[in-house]
Amino acid sequence: MDEVIVEYIRRTVLKIPRDEIMAVLQKWGFLSEAQLQTINFRQTKESISHSVAQLCEESSANIKQAALLDIIYNHIYPNKRAWSVYRMNKTGEETDFFDFRDFKKKFRRQIQSALINVTINFREYEDNAIWIRIAWGTPYTKPNQYKTSYVVYHSQTPYVFISASTLRSNLPLLCQAMVVASNYHDIREMELRSHCLNSLKDIVFKRYSQNFQTNYPLQERNVLTENVDLRINDENSSEKERIHRLNQECFGDGPQPKLDFAQYKLETMFKSDPKWDVLEKKEPFRCLVKFSSPHLLESLKSLAPAGLADAPLSPLLTCIPQKARNYFKIREKKSLHPGNFVALFQLQDSSETQHMPILST
Amino acid sequence: MEEGHNSDGKENALCGRSLTAASRDGGGRMSAVPLAQRKVEGGKVYSGDGVLGYLEMLEAQAHELGLKQEEKEQQEKKLDRLKARVQELRARRDELQAKVELQEKRLLDKEALVTDPARPSAQTVLEWKVKSIKGMLQVFYLTGISGKLTKQGVCFCISTAYEGTYLDSYYVDLLINPEVKIQRHSVPVFIPLEQIAKKYLQSDIRRFMSVLSDHLNAYVGRRHQADQLEEHFSDRIEGTLQRNSLCNLLVFNYTVSSDSKTFPFNVRLLYGNLCCSLPTEAILSCTPGTLPLLAKMAAAHSNTFRQMALHKAFDSIINAKESQD
Repeated sequence: MDEVIVEYIRRTVLKIPRDEIMAVLQKWGFLSEAQLQTINFRQTKESISHSVAQLCEESSANIKQAALLDIIYNHIYPNKRAWSVYRMNKTGEETDFFDFRDFKKKFRRQIQSALINVTINFREYEDNAIWIRIAWGTPYTKPNQYKTSYVVYHSQTPYVFISASTLRSNLPLLCQAMVVASNYHDIREMELRSHCLNSLKDIVFKRYSQNFQTNYPLQERNVLTENVDLRINDENSSEKERIHRLNQECFGDGPQPKLDFAQYKLETMFKSDPKWDVLEKKEPFRCLVKFSSPHLLESLKSLAPAGLADAPLSPLLTCIPQKARNYFKIREKKSLHPGNFVALFQLQDSSETQHMPILST
Repeated sequence: MEEGHNSDGKENALCGRSLTAASRDGGGRMSAVPLAQRKVEGGKVYSGDGVLGYLEMLEAQAHELGLKQEEKEQQEKKLDRLKARVQELRARRDELQAKVELQEKRLLDKEALVTDPARPSAQTVLEWKVKSIKGMLQVFYLTGISGKLTKQGVCFCISTAYEGTYLDSYYVDLLINPEVKIQRHSVPVFIPLEQIAKKYLQSDIRRFMSVLSDHLNAYVGRRHQADQLEEHFSDRIEGTLQRNSLCNLLVFNYTVSSDSKTFPFNVRLLYGNLCCSLPTEAILSCTPGTLPLLAKMAAAHSNTFRQMALHKAFDSIINAKESQD
């Protein structure tokens, strides 16, 4: 048991960039300052990890300490995991006094009633974020510390951020436990996924900068101030300003949440001139369009000013933070006028339907 | 023969002939008279004696008088003319003077306009108007609920405050047609916005805004109290203050001393009313067995927590304890 734990700690330390190992270990707080001083941080990471493992073995680290180190590592580097967002619903209107102790008890009890071989650890952070680490086993084997799921939950909110990693079969159990522990009724997965946890939080908690019109504080019209060389005339300045203004209205002033991709699944009919009968069978054209980027929304924001797209951008692109989704399914709308080439597409969304014009000829 | 006359005349005649040769030979018969006796008038020499001579003289006089008269008349005419011209010029001068005076008066008036503080120029009036409007907008903002009409509806701004400190602002963007709907907002997700909207948004926007503002102000107030407690009294609290997103459940531990012994207290503050920033319940618990001793103190503390703001209540509890000791 001990060697497994120590090896696990060693492997966790290996994941940390060398310059930050000291800081992480200090945050962990299991090893004393004196012990930390004995480690030579100029060696290779391999050697450092062995030193740390040695110290942990001497101090008899248990599974809880190891799990805590893992939670701290994932809290500092959340972008290494892929996160998806789930939304819970409840019908009651009573005020919920969220008690962390109650929550922990209920959650643990719910999971362990179905599967006893799990390791569950909790940690609460200052921004009311609760991090839950679950290492899964099976009814016959001990929990595998390398197969972990993470849940991040802010109390009294309906949103849960889950990073399930490999074992997706335990997901229903996890969701059920969340619902029961937080006093909600049901849970469903939203069409929102990304590697950047904080950006997902920004989107659903509406913490990103939306451009609200106010009378006060007075909004200064920020004119595009560049190096004003009076000998240079910008012929397109009015067009530039128009694009800038439209961009501001769509995206706002501040930094955009960081998303990796937006995926559009098209199931629409191929529209062409009737006399060119390209497709004999009138079947929907299946097509998947995926926009990928290290920072998708910033790149969309810079499309129009760079001249690569017309402003205003299609609402399908600009609605991503507002609708809190980056998976879209676009189906054909049964249009009332079959001869009409204006195609209206229907976004499939279980809660609402939105009709957005995309093409018109 | 007249000898008397002739004798004189003969003598003079000789002289006279030479003299009168130059003079007029009107009569042809000239008497030679000595020069001293001849009357010379106007460079003309007339023979002094004789009626004709006298008549000549008179004629000459008259002639000259006539000339003088003519001259005089001419001069008078000239004088009249000049007088008239003078009149004319005077009149013109008066006219011009009047014009100048009018102009000066106008200029003076204008200057008076500029220097008179009771009549400011258009520029300063405009600046004053802008300043007063900015002040008015700030006043609206400071009242807590302000709004701005947008193309499709209205955007409300709820600026929250607690006991004189202005805290966060939250926005609600409403669409008006076809029915009132929230387009987007920046209200935190743990505030029950959907519930409030379902109840009041369609029927009574004012009530909706008022209820939402109450919720937000109360939340911000509770959060502020908890922050203040942590900031100022973290050394008097054992461990950390446990809270949740809405800050409607706060749990923390502190020690009380009585009879020079210290006892740990645990406080659970429940804020049942989300529109209120004071707790509805303050449950104090202590280690089992010590309750009978500290019951009175616990009850007093509980009351204090329920009636005063958290950080002030804690402050008074700490100070009361110290004064007791």
